Amino acid sequence: MKPVLARLQGIERRFGSVVALDGADLEIFEGEVHGVLGANGAGKSTLLAVLGGMLAPDAGTMQVGGESVALRSPREAWAHGVALVHQHFTLVPRLSALENLALGRGRCTGLRGEAERLMERTRLRVPLDARIEELGVGDRQRIEILKALLRDPRVLVLDEPTAVLTPEETEGLFQLLREVAADGRGVVLVAHKLDEVLRVADRVTVLRGGQTVLTGTAGAHDIDELVRAMVGSDVADAMALGLPDVTTAASVPGATVSDQEATEPIVRLVGVGVKDGSVDRLSGVDLAVRRGEIVGIAGVEGNGQRELALVLSGRQKPSEGVADLPGGIGFIPQDRSIEGLVADFDLTENVALALHRDARFSRGPWLRWDALGEAAGEIRSRFDVAAPSVSTRVQALSGGNQQRVIVGREIGMASDFLVAENPTRGLDVAAAAFVHQELARLVAEGVGIALVSTDLDEILGLSDRVCVLAGGQLVSVPEGERTRVRIGALMLGGSGA
Amino acid sequence: MVQVRDGPRVRARESILIAIGAVVVTALAGAALLLAGGYDPLAAAGAMLRGAFGSWGAFTSITLVRSVPLILAGLAVALAFQAGVWNIGAEGQLYAGAIAAVWVGLVGGALPGVVLVPLVLLAALGAGCLWAVVPTVMRVRLGVGEVITTILMNFVGIYLAAYMVHGPLQEARGVFPQTDAIAEAARLPKLLPGSRLHLGFAIAVVLAVTLAMVLSRSRVGFQIRAVGASEAAARVSGQIDTRRVLVGTFLLSGAIAGLAGGVEVSGLTYALYENLSPGWGYTAIAVALLAGLNPLGVLVTGVLFGALQAGAGAMQRDAGIPAAWVGVVEALVILAVLGLDRVRRLRGEGA
Amino acid sequence: MSAAEFTLFLEAAVRLGIPLALAALGETISERSGVINIGLEGSIIAGALGGALGALAFQSAGMGVMTGAMAGCAVALVFAAFVIGLGADQIITGTAVTLGGLGMTGAIYQARFGATGTELSLPTLQALPIPVLDRIPLVGSALFAQAPTAYLAYALAPALWYFLFRTPWGLELRAVGEAPDAAKAAGVKVRWIRFFATLTGGILAGVAGAHLTLAHAGTFAEGMSAGKGFIAIAVVVLGRWNPILVLFAALFFGAASALQFFLQALGLDLPYQLFLALPYVLTLAALSGWVGRARAPAALALPWESE
Repeated sequence: MKPVLARLQGIERRFGSVVALDGADLEIFEGEVHGVLGANGAGKSTLLAVLGGMLAPDAGTMQVGGESVALRSPREAWAHGVALVHQHFTLVPRLSALENLALGRGRCTGLRGEAERLMERTRLRVPLDARIEELGVGDRQRIEILKALLRDPRVLVLDEPTAVLTPEETEGLFQLLREVAADGRGVVLVAHKLDEVLRVADRVTVLRGGQTVLTGTAGAHDIDELVRAMVGSDVADAMALGLPDVTTAASVPGATVSDQEATEPIVRLVGVGVKDGSVDRLSGVDLAVRRGEIVGIAGVEGNGQRELALVLSGRQKPSEGVADLPGGIGFIPQDRSIEGLVADFDLTENVALALHRDARFSRGPWLRWDALGEAAGEIRSRFDVAAPSVSTRVQALSGGNQQRVIVGREIGMASDFLVAENPTRGLDVAAAAFVHQELARLVAEGVGIALVSTDLDEILGLSDRVCVLAGGQLVSVPEGERTRVRIGALMLGGSGA
Repeated sequence: MVQVRDGPRVRARESILIAIGAVVVTALAGAALLLAGGYDPLAAAGAMLRGAFGSWGAFTSITLVRSVPLILAGLAVALAFQAGVWNIGAEGQLYAGAIAAVWVGLVGGALPGVVLVPLVLLAALGAGCLWAVVPTVMRVRLGVGEVITTILMNFVGIYLAAYMVHGPLQEARGVFPQTDAIAEAARLPKLLPGSRLHLGFAIAVVLAVTLAMVLSRSRVGFQIRAVGASEAAARVSGQIDTRRVLVGTFLLSGAIAGLAGGVEVSGLTYALYENLSPGWGYTAIAVALLAGLNPLGVLVTGVLFGALQAGAGAMQRDAGIPAAWVGVVEALVILAVLGLDRVRRLRGEGA
Repeated sequence: MSAAEFTLFLEAAVRLGIPLALAALGETISERSGVINIGLEGSIIAGALGGALGALAFQSAGMGVMTGAMAGCAVALVFAAFVIGLGADQIITGTAVTLGGLGMTGAIYQARFGATGTELSLPTLQALPIPVLDRIPLVGSALFAQAPTAYLAYALAPALWYFLFRTPWGLELRAVGEAPDAAKAAGVKVRWIRFFATLTGGILAGVAGAHLTLAHAGTFAEGMSAGKGFIAIAVVVLGRWNPILVLFAALFFGAASALQFFLQALGLDLPYQLFLALPYVLTLAALSGWVGRARAPAALALPWESE
């Protein structure tokens, strides 16, 4: 039996009235890659934060290297040999890579030499003197991993590291993790994509509802069993779980539009470019979207998705080229709590954000709040928003319910066209499934949809046609080449390499 | 878990509770400071109340009169803050309005009152609006924060007024740094015969009610509140031109602050002199915050601070407390409102 | 204009610019940590009165500088308690602190010395000429025959630069001002750093105020800070949050304030109030011209919630 590097038992943690962890266990052996699985909201990130010393548990015990510990800060975690690589990069953009590595380590002479030696050994090369803001996503993650490895940890913990990587980069990362584990350490990997984790993990632990429901060798459990453990039933949104047999758009009910409408595009972008100062965020983009079709736009974050989504939804004018857009457009922005909703406003006021210029809801310069309240009420019931009334502040709603409000509101606006930007990011399985259902229903009613997403499974599962955005340029993916490998290669064409 | 206790009525009640709480906290902290300075807080409070509310005459001719510029400037500040515009420049805008009002009042003597009075007020509105142009452009075009720029414009406005009364607009006698009295026709009529309460008070009330209705019920008002609550969400909604809302609100706020200055000149002093304002533009911030940025609330808090200023003179005479003490009270009010609001938010998130 | 007149102008420029420099250097540190202290004006006026009272009590200008620094620190403490302790809005809190500081100093002054302004006779900071350096033609006596607080400013600028850009603690402070979440993840104590940075700003602003009373005016008058706290904030922007550039920007502003002597020497007779307004107008112009190119610390003025 290999030595136990870290053991967490019965960990409980709540945030206000939300229970994130309700008795979770985790055991890491020496030399293994251990996958922690669970749907969004199951508590994986919270458990890792406890392990890494970022959060203190409300109850439960923790042992690292054989001794009982109560980690109250990342510093204490490092002292005990646990290093955490975060999901959202914790790098200071305006400082250089080397400065970021040096941060928090006090006086450290010879850091540069140490970093260079580590880069040699792990083959993770980064330009040490470049500022983070100048570097792409792949480089940033390498620096995050270097930062963790520089602390010579016994346990290396990674939180959703593959979310921003292309398939090829993911493979490279997994290779590195196997080497790190073989070096006598333990590697803990959190993800919600089953097939990825199963490729690299020796053992897995499944979390559901804040509790550990299954733990064991990866090979000993089949996929169905793991899915059931993650979701609690067989029925699940295959796309949200990243299962290998993701179907193509054939599973989406066919659009009921006439042949005439089917060929005439409702959205046409010709030669569209967007400049940000002197940088080209988008250039030479040609895109057409027809009624009743979903066009999926894949790509690694930071390749122009934001600009494309804003141009498509009519929120921003292109610096060059022509954007031909229809009248009724809806837009689901990726940052729901900051851009989609006004946190301090209630449901009715948030719905009014979209409707207040509509003549049906005003009398001259005055708004008809009664009518707006009714509209909000309809959205609340039709889209199953769990809120006591339409006067509830949206701040009080869960992420999934907030997204229901936004989806309901924007679908109402999208009589011709809908732009959805990472619409299921950060949602639990049920909420994600709901969003996908609504998109499918909308397209069946003859509305055109542009789905901009960094989630490749979502794109492959929903889209009629797929394009890839890399380095600000849009490339169409021919029907026969809709494979992860091929698309991954196209994604690499831009930054993030 | 979703909060069951919510809705507009709950939120309004919370704001009033915070305001009352802030007044109580300020009173306690103020009393403590006075005790530390060797003064008698009860005597101070008594003197203040007598000076402000002691008689009907005191109430109408001193307290209410003193509250007029505070209400107007408070409305200007509240409106700006609602849109997320930190207009700390009401003081300078007020002086600009006063200068313009006095000038029109001096040169327009031949016109009948029914024409001249609106002209005077329009001039004040325009000048206040003009005084906000530079900070507005600097924010919207250049991304320079308006806090510093509006404060700097305050100083320029004060010195401009000083220059005017020492130079071009100085009284004909040339003795004191003040203007001549404005024409009879330019003066605001009295609301109550025999008192100093002038039409300006009615103007303030009407303006407060109008702004309250506009903010809560009109399309433009909704846009202003949305931009103030979340500029990002307002912009991304595609339905709001955030730049136009910001510029419009900023300029309107400046105009209303200018009106405060114009009303004071044409309703009470009938002339311009140095130090016309004992810092109304800054007091207005406390007035607006204590009112929870609600225009109707500003009517109440404006009178409250008018009482404070009216009572300050009595406090100095009877209890020996220096007049500058009022500035400390204003600061305490702002800090109390901020503190209680933070406590409310922190409790709300932890519930 | 003769050489002597130019030297006089330069001497006035430096003398007027030093309080700005001290306050701005302190504000640079606090803004680099992400905190914009609009209450700086309150710290300055507190330092001015504190300096005057301390100098009177101890009959020593040096002690006055100490008490001035403490007064400025106390005001900054109130600011920090609300902004860093409670997470209150930095801008409104700063406005309140300035109002309170002006009111409090006015009240205390009036209580002790009567409602009309009395000329206090304070022990002042004498000019301390530096041998050899003060003989440099034209600039020597202007730059090197100043009060000791001036030399403090000269020394602080490179020292603070070194601290910010060459030491690990300066690195942590800059990280806190750019990306507090990332700093926290790296184990940096965000709130403590912001707290100490803000207090540092208050202390230096207090010294600036003491300089105003003890080296410049020789007495205290209500509201004598006259917006220097706000100009100092603009000076930080102009100096691009770099201590050495901030020192130069402050001296430049001192020159703008001293301009009236320059112009009077040239024989121009312009209204007095124009000169008073000039520094503020120049600040506005400078902010318009320079801001586009300078980049503030990314987390400046944004509230930060720790877990």
